[in-house]
Amino acid sequence: MNLKELKELIELIQKSQIAELELEKSGVRVRIKRDRVQMAPPPVSEEAAPAPPAPAETPLPQAAPPPPAIPAGWLTLTAPVVGTFYRAPSPDSDPYVEIGSQVKKGQILCVIEAMKLMNEIESEWDGKIVEILTENAQPVEYGEPLFRIEPLTPT
Amino acid sequence: MFKKILVANRSEIAVRIIQACRELGIKTVAVYSEADAQALHVRLADEHLCIGPSDAALSYRNIPNILSAAEITGAEAIHPGYGFLAENAHFAEVCQSVGIKFIGPTSENIAMMGDKAKARELMTKQGIPVLPGSLGVLSEEKEALAAAKRIGYPVIIKATAGGGGRGMRVVTQDEDFLSAFQTAQAEAKTAFGDSGVYLEKYFLEPRHIEVQIMADEKGRTVYLGERDCSVQRRHQKLIEESPSAAVGEALRREIGLVAVAAARSVNYCNVGTVEFLLDKDQRFYFMEMNTRIQVEHPVTEMVTGIDMIKEQIKIAAGLPLDVRQSEIKLRGHSFECRINAECPDTFTPSPGTITVFRTPGGPGVRVDSAVICDDVVSPYYDSLIAKLIVHAENREAAMARMRRALDEFMIEGIKTTLPLHKRIFDDPVFQKGRISTGYLEKFLSSEQARVAG
Repeated sequence: MNLKELKELIELIQKSQIAELELEKSGVRVRIKRDRVQMAPPPVSEEAAPAPPAPAETPLPQAAPPPPAIPAGWLTLTAPVVGTFYRAPSPDSDPYVEIGSQVKKGQILCVIEAMKLMNEIESEWDGKIVEILTENAQPVEYGEPLFRIEPLTPT
Repeated sequence: MFKKILVANRSEIAVRIIQACRELGIKTVAVYSEADAQALHVRLADEHLCIGPSDAALSYRNIPNILSAAEITGAEAIHPGYGFLAENAHFAEVCQSVGIKFIGPTSENIAMMGDKAKARELMTKQGIPVLPGSLGVLSEEKEALAAAKRIGYPVIIKATAGGGGRGMRVVTQDEDFLSAFQTAQAEAKTAFGDSGVYLEKYFLEPRHIEVQIMADEKGRTVYLGERDCSVQRRHQKLIEESPSAAVGEALRREIGLVAVAAARSVNYCNVGTVEFLLDKDQRFYFMEMNTRIQVEHPVTEMVTGIDMIKEQIKIAAGLPLDVRQSEIKLRGHSFECRINAECPDTFTPSPGTITVFRTPGGPGVRVDSAVICDDVVSPYYDSLIAKLIVHAENREAAMARMRRALDEFMIEGIKTTLPLHKRIFDDPVFQKGRISTGYLEKFLSSEQARVAG
């Protein structure tokens, strides 16, 4: 994690209602805490500690942080089938969409491979991709969130 | 042996399969619909994956999603349980074609036995007595009368599209046949829009007797005694027992060997059940073969001491049967009561939240269930919420044990068939073992008459 990312993270917290956030990534742990007594500027305490010699690679299944609140109006496209999620039609091609892409209803956003069949997953709305929630080539279950879309016309 | 098995089912049978896998040291993958996210089978499995919405057609019967789930979790085999995809020959075939072992018989076995008319024809060729009847639809009066004579009276005329007693007529002699035939046709036409009828031999007080068989991939086949499933309502079994009060040593061996012959005739592999009708004169007739593990398998497990689910898995893994026919002995007596989320009087489903669920225990009592407290019985799936199974040294002792266990079972929040089971176990006719497939209807109407009188 570099300084720029850290700065972005702090800004994100300032804008949000989150009181405290702890994040571990690549062996570095960061904790950001908001002091509610002093309003401006919000002081930030941070701790960045080097990882223990053998970084724990195994993720804790139940310890995932609660899902962040989704801004009002954003829509979530979920996996309609079980399979493997791919962002591009083939390993050599560009992804169908990136964050910020404008998409139309019916436009292909990704493929989910199931039993050697490529299922093209289409957008259900006109709008802008604001988040991509699954990594390329990851297995997905039915109903798993794939994309968040900010619709063109608020629903 | 397999390292990981996907369980393509839900509820008690999914839990039962996970239990067997655990004991065999096999990892499990549970699949579930959105309605079952909190279900016990999901909690007990090593891995779990949502495969679709509540509607079973889009989840538990969704072949592409289930196979994808097996693929992405690296499961080598799929156990289908009962219902859903268990007797789907296409599914068994697709599993094979993608290199995933289907824990059950071959797709050919399933297809063969699934076609009831073909199965009967094949059994007849093997010299196995089948339920006498006309094989197809009868439309000509002359032809029908000849068939009735051939089958022998009494015969029952049934609507091909039928069910629920409509379009059915029992005929005991030639003179009455033609008018009954015409009425049945007319009734079938009004009730089902199809006047097609067929004939079957009519039995006064038949028993539903089924024989559990087991066959390995080398064709070694054994029988594990019979189950008496005569206590049923509209072909829905309610109480099963093993052994049957009507079957002695000699008949057990005879019917067992016939069941083995039936299985061998189609090169049957894995576990299966051959269903027979047993008449008052101890003659039995082949009805059909079920190519899956059955709901009532625990009574056979209790009296034989053989874990049928483990056997299914071992057979599918290519292991030979490790039990010989001579080693299979029925010890004591076992009953199973199906506890359904149903009104015990009207049999209408009773979905809702189970607020109290306290299962009975003590010696010789087993409960197969997937219910946890505050579970919601959803209207999407079948109403079976628990199987109460007892085992004791003889029928008398097993009945006493069942009565005691039924009294201990506490279920609140929904209506269940528990009170009905208590009444049946208090009925002298049932206690004497004088049951037939008509028993339950008769018992219920006599109860009603008593209330009305």
